[in-house]
Amino acid sequence: MRRITSLVVALVLAVAACGGDGTSAEDGPLQEIGDSEDKVVIVAWAGYIERGETEAAYDWVTQYEADTGCAVEVKTAGTSDEMVALMTGSDEFDLVTASGDASLRLIAGGTVQEVNTDLVPSWNTVDERLQDAPWHTVDGKHYGVPYQWGANVLAYNTEAFGGNAPTSWNVIFEPMNLPDGEPNAGRVQAYDGPIYVADAAVYLKSTRPELGIEDPYQLNDEQYAEALDVLRTQRSLVGRYWHDAFIQIDDFTNEGVAASASWPFQVNILQASGEPIASTIPTEGATGWADTTMMHVNAPHPNCAYQWLDWSLNPKLQGDLAAWFGSVPSVPAACDGNELLGAEGCTTNGFENFDRISFWKTPTDDCNGTEAAGSCVPYYRWVTDYLAVIGGR
Amino acid sequence: MRTAGLGLKAAALGAILYLHVPIAILFLYAFTTEDASFKFPPPSLTTRWFEVAWNNADIRAALGLSLRVAFVAMVVALILGTLTAGAVWRTRFFGREALSLFIVLPIALPGIITGIALRSAINLADLSFSFWTIVIGHATFCVAVAYNNVIARLRRTSPSLIEASMDLGARGWQTFRHVLLPQLSSALVTGGMLAFALSFDEIIVTTFTAGNQQTLPIWIFSSLVRPRNRPVTNVVALAVVVLTFVPIVVAQRFSRRAEESS
Amino acid sequence: MRLALLLGVPLFWMVGVYGGSLAALLVQSFFRLDSFAGTIDRSPTLATWRDLFTDANMSVAARTIGMASSVTLASIVIALPLAYFIARHASRRTKAVLVLAVMIPLWSSYLVRVYSWKLILSADGIVNWFFERLGIGGLLDAVLALPAIGGPSLSVSYIGQFLVFVYIWLPYMVLPIQAALERVPRSFIEASADLGAHPATTFRKVVWPLAIPGVAAGSIFTFSLTLGDYIIPTVIGDSSPFIGLAIYSYQGVAGNLPLAAAFAFVPIAVMGLYLFGAKRLGAFEAL
Repeated sequence: MRRITSLVVALVLAVAACGGDGTSAEDGPLQEIGDSEDKVVIVAWAGYIERGETEAAYDWVTQYEADTGCAVEVKTAGTSDEMVALMTGSDEFDLVTASGDASLRLIAGGTVQEVNTDLVPSWNTVDERLQDAPWHTVDGKHYGVPYQWGANVLAYNTEAFGGNAPTSWNVIFEPMNLPDGEPNAGRVQAYDGPIYVADAAVYLKSTRPELGIEDPYQLNDEQYAEALDVLRTQRSLVGRYWHDAFIQIDDFTNEGVAASASWPFQVNILQASGEPIASTIPTEGATGWADTTMMHVNAPHPNCAYQWLDWSLNPKLQGDLAAWFGSVPSVPAACDGNELLGAEGCTTNGFENFDRISFWKTPTDDCNGTEAAGSCVPYYRWVTDYLAVIGGR
Repeated sequence: MRTAGLGLKAAALGAILYLHVPIAILFLYAFTTEDASFKFPPPSLTTRWFEVAWNNADIRAALGLSLRVAFVAMVVALILGTLTAGAVWRTRFFGREALSLFIVLPIALPGIITGIALRSAINLADLSFSFWTIVIGHATFCVAVAYNNVIARLRRTSPSLIEASMDLGARGWQTFRHVLLPQLSSALVTGGMLAFALSFDEIIVTTFTAGNQQTLPIWIFSSLVRPRNRPVTNVVALAVVVLTFVPIVVAQRFSRRAEESS
Repeated sequence: MRLALLLGVPLFWMVGVYGGSLAALLVQSFFRLDSFAGTIDRSPTLATWRDLFTDANMSVAARTIGMASSVTLASIVIALPLAYFIARHASRRTKAVLVLAVMIPLWSSYLVRVYSWKLILSADGIVNWFFERLGIGGLLDAVLALPAIGGPSLSVSYIGQFLVFVYIWLPYMVLPIQAALERVPRSFIEASADLGAHPATTFRKVVWPLAIPGVAAGSIFTFSLTLGDYIIPTVIGDSSPFIGLAIYSYQGVAGNLPLAAAFAFVPIAVMGLYLFGAKRLGAFEAL
């Protein structure tokens, strides 16, 4: 009952004065790992942290728990935005597997803390392309440890495309007949997260060079308006936008979806269940995600958290996870000799595609610090406008 | 009793079918051999998902949490609902109407409103999300059903019973314990059951008032977006139906008996 | 004194905690989101309310209210005969079985039932399978070709969404109507018939007026639940946002709590009007 009393007291105060900010004493990162606490609490994408309960072979938690004595608790999130909301709204989480469109927001909002890479012995094994990546490195400080990455591929039905991979995203952006002679209207899908505006920008970047798009996440008002137009055209073609991987898998199986922006994850599962689905990265390139494990500024269990950061980089975990999720390990050593991933696993999941991918990051009104404020369209407008596009406006 | 017309029978039957065909589907796909995506008809049948579900510790933990939350929320709702009904019954006071509105409001407003309001309040109050925040959310909208059942029963209770008890020298508590409570028992059972059911299957309010606790609906939701072993969610839904069937039937008999004897 | 004892805790909980939360939510709608970092600027402003009344948001509200109204009407039409049958014609045993049959869906997971509709309605789904077997696939295509409410398949159309909403909330309509009809003395209906009234007249003049409190109570549920649901529109339908989804996105996705709070007052206002009307129809006694 004491909690309830305090809730109401606080509420009355809140209504009157509207609360104060949470206190956070930041004295820089931890310098030394001390004794383990009892647990570590991680906000993660569904399927990112497995303890073998879904399939016994996919377990990278049990060993960590046995080694460190830290019990792992996971809160799954479906979108980057949910992750940000969870992390900013609470002090009970230690770590988050944030994509680039969440990581910079978390850094800017002071929600995550700098990571002392000296306390992460495996840091040197991380793919060099990722070590200083801009979505977790600000002013030379590292705010996390790379976890996995991958591309948002174009998934297509091989029967509808007569066995040839489509070479352009136009099959899901422009009205046309697909190689099977039927129109694409009603047979394509798109992602329902606002970050998808960047996919339209990637497409415009190479089809409409006169717009001068350089970075699909840094759009001025004119470029942004054109991207929205592409998406409005797409609205008339899309039957349903996909929100979670499962719904999309169902739609490929049962709704006759012919093409969609997708993740390797869905493609792997669909292929495993014998569906005629394949994926490609069209000539325009693609957006992608690169996830970083970041630590909350008030992480209640920092010692367990640091031990998880190091554990998360071991090649076995990285390889198993890549096999499970259809992603690419951030530790290249994981590509060799992993039973679940197979010899070609990393190549299949897109290890070579790094340079063709525009990785998710949060659009800001100062173009991620490169221009004056107000030069680029910020993320909150992406949210409102994309919701309106899906609503047919 | 008059016999029902054919049209009426057909309409009633149609409505029952509408309510149950999807449950039959849910049942069927607890046995399918597909694990990621379902097709109709299922390629073949298996019982292995029952074993998988049984061995899954997450499910057991989530089920346990849901049962605990539903139980505590039910008790809180019954207490609050009965107290309010007792106050509103046969007394007029300033704000009586407003109070009865406030009782109904959480169930009459969409769950997302209750959820988002409580969430932002909990945040403002700097409390952390826990078992108790889930209970607060659930109890708030469960009060209405408890209140409605109790007040309906009180309205049908003759005031003379209480007067008689008082005249015979019973004190307030004794009257409540020996006269009113037996009268209310069936209403408490029905209201409690409904409150329990509402809490047990609640997802929207829970999404907003839970931290990283996993109630059963939240577990189901996160499993539905993780397309492996998908039939396990059907097994769980099926098990819940079977598990709750017995108490519902018992409660129904109990409340009918009570109704007839009063 | 007795009153204070009885009322203390419920008042504290419902008015203090719950009412306080709603009030706090209202206060938040007068703040605004500071663009990027997702922080909230706490100086009072009407800017958020201005953001609410955009074309896009209002079309979301209109779509949702339209859906909630049609779902409510359909639920009444489907629930009435069933409730009437249970209350008036069923033997004691049948009645027990039927009430149980209406309640069972409430006990089986809402989520799993919604997802099973996806399989029923999809292009290669169960409805389609049966229509093809019966050789009336053309009928389905004709329905789907309807403008506005049709679509590439049932599961991607408003029709499918409507079917699922009605299905999910139907028990909440049947039970209160049945309870209201139970209270009608049988002699009323018999008297009407004995006096030579046509069944339709008996329904209109005797049954319907007595069912109204139950209908009003049930419609509070169906209307309000449809207004706030954000899960069904993501699973079934063409992804067009509904109020619940918009609030959820503004809060969880955009981190724009002020706008979410302002939007939350759309359903609150709608339900306020609705409750006002329902109270006059005696719905609160029949909930």
